[in-house]
Order: sequence, then structure tokens, then C-alpha cells
Amino acid sequence: MTWLLDPWAWWVEPFRGNVAMVNALWAVLLTATCTSLVGTWVVLRGMSFLGDALAHGVLPGIAIAFVIGLDTTIGALVAAVVMVAGVNVVRAASPLPDDASIGILFVGFLALAVVVMSSQRGGYTGDLTRFLFGSITGVDTTDLVRQLVATAITVAVVLVLHRALLVGTFDERQARLLGLHPRFTRGVLLVLVAVAIVASFGTVGNLLVFAFLIAPPSTATLLVRRVPSIMALAVALGAAGGFVGLLVSYHHSTAAGATMALCTVIVFFAVLIVRSTVTVVRRHLPRMATPGG
Amino acid sequence: MALGCAVLLAACGGDGGADGTPAAGAAGGDGPYLVATTGIWADVVERVACDGPLDVRTIVPAGGDPHSFEPSLQDRHVLDGATLVVANGLGLEATLDDTLDSVEDGGVPIFRIGEHIDTIQLAGEGEDPHVWFDPTRVAGALPALGDALVAAGQDAAVIDRCVSAAQTDLVALDTQLAATLGAVPADRRLLVTNHDALGYLADRYGFEVVGSVLPSTSTLTEASPGELDGLAKAIEARHVPAIFTETLASSTDADALADRLGVAVVQLYSDALGEPGSGADTYDGLLRTDATSIADALTH
Repeated sequence: MTWLLDPWAWWVEPFRGNVAMVNALWAVLLTATCTSLVGTWVVLRGMSFLGDALAHGVLPGIAIAFVIGLDTTIGALVAAVVMVAGVNVVRAASPLPDDASIGILFVGFLALAVVVMSSQRGGYTGDLTRFLFGSITGVDTTDLVRQLVATAITVAVVLVLHRALLVGTFDERQARLLGLHPRFTRGVLLVLVAVAIVASFGTVGNLLVFAFLIAPPSTATLLVRRVPSIMALAVALGAAGGFVGLLVSYHHSTAAGATMALCTVIVFFAVLIVRSTVTVVRRHLPRMATPGG
Repeated sequence: MALGCAVLLAACGGDGGADGTPAAGAAGGDGPYLVATTGIWADVVERVACDGPLDVRTIVPAGGDPHSFEPSLQDRHVLDGATLVVANGLGLEATLDDTLDSVEDGGVPIFRIGEHIDTIQLAGEGEDPHVWFDPTRVAGALPALGDALVAAGQDAAVIDRCVSAAQTDLVALDTQLAATLGAVPADRRLLVTNHDALGYLADRYGFEVVGSVLPSTSTLTEASPGELDGLAKAIEARHVPAIFTETLASSTDADALADRLGVAVVQLYSDALGEPGSGADTYDGLLRTDATSIADALTH
């Protein structure tokens, strides 16, 4: 109960004079901003599975770049683009539904990553596990700059394409009639998802970045209706979940990435339970419901 | 909402926060301290300071696998506050390297023992990091470690004396190990291990490493069916009496292989010290316990 009884020691003390924790917090806040903004569109467009597939689909790119000694960020982005293109090709060339074409590429990419990694003998495979689980304890200035650039790009694109994304999400035909290029918009969105994932896996890890992409926007859609409100609330929820997760991880020595991811999911269920309870209570006590409330 | 999350998680965490000292106090405030990544090196560092009043902390807990240990944010804080960090290096602490580099960038000196040792090169894998299995090689690195301790504020005269004493001890330990392992007949000096950890022991005491179940110096790999099959054939052809597994890593594949071939499975302490009371809770104890286990398994 230290977090309540001695709030200074629990909430503030870990950051005082501790560069590593301050860096970690910045990384988490940037991650939350970047992923929540993109994640809002992923959730609203029902693209969660593709988002998840992309999160793991970047792995072979990282593994191959690692083996041949290229920059892993570039490798990851290339893999993401190849994966999106692959999904589109399978979808066009086969009668399969979307989820099957995504699934095929998803497992294919994941397996490829493991095969490439297993060809690497010796002690340096740890660099690859770092991509899976993140390394919040090793965040340095380079990581922060990369995260900052990714977040800036995300914010800019989300603002510029807001109308196209909005119309395209709810009525693709209308978007086409308005000259908003819905297919192009969708492509840009997928690239943004890839950028958010690639920029974030240093912090929360590849296996769990999906939580930040999906959980805060999902929670926000339970509470507000308008897209800008969902985005703002999602960023706030993601940042808060990350912040609390970071502190819980610090005080209890739990895995940072997983603790933060769990935190965002717990918030979702807490909100869902409260919301459902309120709905049930309202239904059973019709007279108590205030008119116009 | 953040509060709700905190309530839930803090509740799940129980009173972990309440029983422990406040986090900041755990890492700083109580005088200068050193950090060694594993218990093995913490023990060696304490000897080089004559077990004097030196606060040496470890990051990888007793029984933890240094190959795959994921540091927590507390560990990072502890590392940041150290006057010197002693690590094995050579890729042993693969999942910690990132954090160690970042700590080093922040100005904390890091002494990597592997850099001061004449290492064994392995084909396609680089250097074998398990240098502590040869006490004479470790003894050779002690003067450099002593210098690092002096640079970190220890008394030069004391360290000088202690380094010599520790070196003498290690040479005596080497003689003892040679005697224990010397009991194994020449044609049975064959080692099959779970991961490739005993290269230095084999080199020093005249054993041959026939192979390992995980074909790597790291535990972060998977056995491959083809290589396992090759290993099984080698074990049968050479009449290897035992497969050595380790306390720190899963031995499912090694157990299955031993079961299939009808050879004994013997557990060794490889990359981490044992729990207190296991006999392998010090560096010397670990080597003696392992030497006895190996000699027993291969002689009978």
C-alpha cells in the first residue's frame, strides 16, 4: 500500500536523480502517444488482427538485418511493407477471407524469423530476444530520438489524413466519391502501424506492443464517441497505464514491458465492468434514471 | 483510470512494496558498493578484497541463468549507482549487454573479466564465455581485476596483498581439482553436456567435449533433431557413460536422450552458484562439487 500511504516514495522518488528511469518514462510516454493514435484507427476499422500480424511480421526483417549486419529498424520496416503487400496479393489471388490471408502470412513470417534466428549460434542471440521483450532498462538517447521521430511522423500524418481516414472508415464509397483515395489512405495507415510497432519494440517489446496499439483505444471507445475524443483519451490512458506499469515494475521487479501491457488491459476490463454495471443498474431501476441524463 | 489500474496492480502485488525498504534507499545512500553480474564473480571479487568490508551485490540471482537474465528497472538503478561493475563479458550476459552498455555510457566503469583472459575460440561461435571453469585462467585475470578495484577506490596495498593470496588459493584449488578429476581413466574422459559450458574444464584437465545437447555456448538455443542424432551416435560409439545437465536450464532434451541411450544423467552447477547449503554456493564449492560429480559419473 506504499503507493497510497507514502505517495512521494512510490510515485516520485524512483525518478529523482535516476536518468535511466526518466529515459524509460519518456520512452513509454512517446510509445503510448504513437501507438494510441494509430491504434484508434486500427480499432475503429476492425484491423486488429492485421495489426497483431504486423507486430510479429516485422521479426524476420529484424532477424535478417541482424544476421547480415544492417540496421534492424530498416529491416523491420521492409518486412512490414512486404507483409502488407503479401496480404494484398493473397487476398487478390485467392478466394480466402481476409483473416485467413493475414494468418498465413503471419505464421509464415513468424516461422521464418525463428528459423533465421536459430541459424545464429553463440551467445549473441540475446540481441534477438531483446526485440521480443524489449529492453526498457537499456533505453538511451538514440532510442529516444528514434521514438520521437516516429511519434512526430505519426502525429503529422494522423492530422493531415484525418478526414480521409474518417470518411474511409465509415463509408469507403463516399470516400472514393470525395476523391479521398481510400486505398492509398489505408496503405498509409498500415505503414504508420508498422512505424509505431518498429519504434516501440525497444521499449515494450515486439510480443506486447500490440497491447499498446489496441487496449487504450478500445477502452476509450467504451467511454466516448467522437474520434478526436477517442484519440485524446486513448493517449491519456496509454500514458497513464504505461506510467503506472513502469512504477509497478520498478517497485516489484516485474518485467517492465509485460507489466505495462497488463496495466493497459486491466484498465480496459475495469472500465468494461463499471460500464456494464452502470448499464444494468440503469435498466433495472428505470425510475432512478434521471430524465435527460 | 490510472488510479484504478494502480489500485488493481498494487493490490495484486500484495505488500511487496510495504515490506521492502523504499526503492531509492535500496540502491543508494548506504555507502559505495560494487556490482558483479553473477554470484560466481561476486565471490571472486570479494576474495580479491580479502573478504573485507566491501559491499558486493549481484544482479543475476543464485540459480539464475546469466544467458537469459532480464534486468528489472531496480537492477538498472543498482547498476547505475555502483562504483564498479564486474561482468563476465564474451556474450555470457547476452540479455544484459544492452543495459550494461547503457550503464557504461552513463560513466560507471565496467570490468569484463573475459577481456583479461586467454580465451578458447570455438568454430563459428566466437569465444567461449565460461572462463571460470579454469581457475588458473581466472588467477591470471586477478591483477587486472585488482587494478580495477583500486581505481574504484579500494586501498592499493590491501588489494595487492589480497590478489596474491587469492591467486595462491586458486592454484591450490586447481591442484585439488586436478587430483579429483585425475581419478577418471583416460578412455572415459568424455564430456557430453546440456549446453557447451565445460570447454575450459576440458582444456585444463584433459577431457574431450564430445558434444552438447544444445549445440551452443548459450542456453538460448533449441536442439536440432539432426545434431541430436549425431550426438546420440557419438555417445554410443564412444561409450560415453553420462550426460551432464545443469541446474539452471531445462534438460528435457538431455533427459530424453539419456533415457533413450540408457546413460546416466548427472546434474552440474554450470553458470550459476547453487543455493546456500548446496555445497556449490561459492566459486570454489561450485568447481569442487562439479569435479566430484564428473569424476563419480565417469569412473563408475
